[in-house]
Amino acid sequence: MSVSGYARRGVQLAGLAVVVVIVLAAVATVAFGVPISALERVVADGLDTLRRIFTPGYVARSMELAAPITLAAIGGLYAEKSGVFNIGLEGFMIFGAFFAAAATYFVGAGGAVHAWIGIGVSVLLTTGLTVLFAVLLIRYKADQIVAGLGVWFIGLGLVPFTAAIIWDSRNSPRMPGVGRVTVPGASEIPYLGRIVFDQSPLVWLTVLVVIGSWVFLYRTRYGYWIQAAGDNPEALDTAGIDVNRVRYATVIFSGALAGLGGAVLLAHSSSFVGTGQTMVDGRGWLGIVAYLFGNYNPIGAAAAALLFGGVDMLQGQLQTLNIDASPKLLGLLPYVVVIVVLTGWGKTQVPSSVGDPYESED
Amino acid sequence: MSSPSTDEDDAPSTVDRLAGRLLEATVLERLGIALASIATAIFIGLLAVALSGYSPLLFLNNLIVGSVGSERILARTLRFSTFFIVTGVAVAIAFRAGVFNIGVQGQFIVGGIFCTMSILWTAPLLPTGTVGGIGLMLVGTVAAAVGGGLYGALPGVLKAYADANEIITTIMLNFIAIGVVSWLVTNPFRAEGSTNVRTESLPENVGLPPIVFGDSGFSIVGVLLTLALVAVVAIVMAQTRSGYDMVTSGYQASAAVYSGVDAKRTIVTTMTFSGAVAGLASALYVIMFQGSFIEPASIHTYGYDAIAVSLLAANNPVGVIPAGLLFGGLNSSGSYVQTYSDVPVQLIDGIVGIVIVFVAAPELFRMAAERAGLGGDDE
Repeated sequence: MSVSGYARRGVQLAGLAVVVVIVLAAVATVAFGVPISALERVVADGLDTLRRIFTPGYVARSMELAAPITLAAIGGLYAEKSGVFNIGLEGFMIFGAFFAAAATYFVGAGGAVHAWIGIGVSVLLTTGLTVLFAVLLIRYKADQIVAGLGVWFIGLGLVPFTAAIIWDSRNSPRMPGVGRVTVPGASEIPYLGRIVFDQSPLVWLTVLVVIGSWVFLYRTRYGYWIQAAGDNPEALDTAGIDVNRVRYATVIFSGALAGLGGAVLLAHSSSFVGTGQTMVDGRGWLGIVAYLFGNYNPIGAAAAALLFGGVDMLQGQLQTLNIDASPKLLGLLPYVVVIVVLTGWGKTQVPSSVGDPYESED
Repeated sequence: MSSPSTDEDDAPSTVDRLAGRLLEATVLERLGIALASIATAIFIGLLAVALSGYSPLLFLNNLIVGSVGSERILARTLRFSTFFIVTGVAVAIAFRAGVFNIGVQGQFIVGGIFCTMSILWTAPLLPTGTVGGIGLMLVGTVAAAVGGGLYGALPGVLKAYADANEIITTIMLNFIAIGVVSWLVTNPFRAEGSTNVRTESLPENVGLPPIVFGDSGFSIVGVLLTLALVAVVAIVMAQTRSGYDMVTSGYQASAAVYSGVDAKRTIVTTMTFSGAVAGLASALYVIMFQGSFIEPASIHTYGYDAIAVSLLAANNPVGVIPAGLLFGGLNSSGSYVQTYSDVPVQLIDGIVGIVIVFVAAPELFRMAAERAGLGGDDE
């Protein structure tokens, strides 16, 4: 990466940090009741609205909504870092949500244990599918974009088909969730208690994945192999590392995480929805945008996903405040944000060999 | 990856490679790969039918009867085919120029609502007879092309001047088009007193005459217009300066730039042209078939299937005709399967997805053919 590359990346990360700090400051001001008596009446009204929007419940729910997007984003980020654009994330998420629902259903759909079994089975099955996808991309040099779109279409077709065969409807009956883990005492802490200590265990898992994948990518030898496979595959090959083996690993990992993302989405909802765009409804695409926005950094990607989760959650929040806006139009907000984000942040550090199949010289 | 100017070559280079690989192949090889993709996908579909406890033979029979089984069914197949051919041409224009327009569905929807509303608003101003009808159809067609063209130009401009990945922006714009038009059709544009979510119906004098087939939703005139459009696009792509610029940008981006092509402008032109053709597909859909505009989420995903149509045709506008006929048949039999069998019709969408995956990997069939001792002289 050149000097200008580092500079650009620095500017972007700084920009992201500023946005996050402003949001956090706003939240803190509202939450801890920073004295507002001195402020203008208008500001007080504005803050009052903000406080009613950014309730602890709102932030906690936004994190729940952000978790599936974050997981898909991290998977996609790993694949693309290694030189493979996995545009099939949306499709793998659809499979992930469905496999989790079907597995939960077949073991009895009785409680949280069954939901966890569903998540485990779903990750295994989605990983299996991704192995086929990886072989197609790497061994048979399939066009990454077209094949990825194909995966999406297969998900949109075969999943509702199978759902209709199992449940006589494209939607599943009611599914158990994993519930929330409440830490006694700590959950009583004002504001943060609800967000951190009374939270879905899958949000905690997501946070762990984010931190773990950051450490792995930037602080281990394997992480450097992944980066080299995308930026300079010839050098990695010369160093005696099999480029395609690295790429197999990342693509399969990306599918596994997208599947987990789908399963988490299901666990945070009440049932599987297979009509229209299915319950995944563009979240895999948001995942791709999240890692582009986060400039291929797992933590940046998670921050961007949180932004999307928050925007998504905003529609419900505005409705409860009786702010008059069509829910149908408000639901489009995340997609508009994506276009704005891509337009403003279009130039990311795309690894130089993304899209090219790699063939060893020997 | 230091100079930003090379960033935008990334996306085209992959299309370029796929198209190049398909172009290197002989026509026969290309046809073989297309047929093998379809046959394998249908075979997997039949396997899924068998695994879910239905009879695959009955399903296969339904596919055939449901696409060509009677005059009425044939009219339906041809009607679907015209939509797939025109949207397929829209995709082919963009893919050939190395731009991934995944937004044909959104451009179709925007073009359709432009067409419908322009006709409804102009109708009181024009006479009611045939002449007035033709006038209205012209107005609607132009409006559809303008609407689709503008909605295609937007991601084109974002790609050319802000470097926003067009795959993502066009998919987002599809979601936005469905949402906004759905809101329009449910609220301000909704027909008064209608129980269904739809606009007012077009006036009586708007519609194509049902000659040859006595089907009110299909006209042979629609087929002729479709074929004429394919011819025009093929000529524009092959014979005109801007068509030449588009195609060279797709195959050899750097060479195009060196020979004086304005790469950014070509991207915008390509997307506008592609979107306008998608709008024309919608004009045909509204005027010949629907007679009003309905809830966009329930419109078939012509714009997405068109990607498979175009790829099967190796992004050649003329090749889109047989590929479009095939998809017309598949979808027509989908309606048949839905009515006369218990097999969930979504299977057909799944089969389309599998076709796309196989088309993306021509290498798969080439290796299989080599192993079987067929051809294999390309190494």
